[in-house]
Amino acid sequence: MWSVLRSRALSNVSQWKIISSSNFTRTFCSSDIDNIERNREMLSLNEVEKILTDVRADDVKVLPVPKHVDFADYMVIATGRSAWHVRNIAQALIYKVKQKQRGVKRMLLPSVEGQEGGKWIVIDSGPIVIHALDEKVRAYYNLEKLWSTGTSNEEHTQDLDKAFIKVRRKNNSKKPAQANA
Amino acid sequence: MIQPQTHLNVADNSGARELMCIRIIGASNRRYAHIGDVIVAVIKEAVPNMPLEKSEVVRAVIVRTCKELKRDSGMIIRYDDNAAVVIDQEGNPKGTRIFGAIPRELRQFNFTKIVSLAPEVL
Repeated sequence: MWSVLRSRALSNVSQWKIISSSNFTRTFCSSDIDNIERNREMLSLNEVEKILTDVRADDVKVLPVPKHVDFADYMVIATGRSAWHVRNIAQALIYKVKQKQRGVKRMLLPSVEGQEGGKWIVIDSGPIVIHALDEKVRAYYNLEKLWSTGTSNEEHTQDLDKAFIKVRRKNNSKKPAQANA
Repeated sequence: MIQPQTHLNVADNSGARELMCIRIIGASNRRYAHIGDVIVAVIKEAVPNMPLEKSEVVRAVIVRTCKELKRDSGMIIRYDDNAAVVIDQEGNPKGTRIFGAIPRELRQFNFTKIVSLAPEVL
């Protein structure tokens, strides 16, 4: 319940999560100055990749989220070797955000989920969602398969293609075609 | 409006099919749970040959309710069923895939994991 209160309290400062959803963006981002400030505060994709290579996260994958799902633009998936390593990946990203916003009156921090466990930590910084996972957990949830573009859609379309093709039956009957009277 | 004794569908592939709410986690004397709340539930019906079994006590997050969900924009969302996703103590979902539409409010309640497994976000 605390998270609800927090999100309400911060909603007028335009919290990151709210920015991400396209509906709200239209209402909040009326001025360009706001946009510029926000871009400076948020992590860009290049920075995320650089941090992940610096902390030696294995098998980093950047997946663009398909257009019809509008809750984020990019998913970054990284593997850590142990619970400590996974937690360190998350810490490094948060540290970078804090560094970036040094001196700002009110810091906007990404929401972090699963910090205690160290199996799967999600850092939700608006348009970029970063997943830091344990090796086993990554294999279990198989996020790449879910989000890699096209795979799920292709299956459907193939089925549909088959379903919609109309095959005309061959006339194998030996009888001579009857002339309609 | 989920209260103890409410039966819920399961919106993931964890192996449970139907849950019954037995407690709402949060305040001590809360009446109803809504979307994004964590409940304690009993598995009333389970898929055979899966790790979860009948009459097991689990935690679950409510993802869909028949009671309408209001947004500040004036939009109202209401589903045809009450549905929940089974999670463990750390908040990791037990299943690997989630079925059906999920409201984007779950992300604000810090259930980004569930949102990122869902096929559709409303």
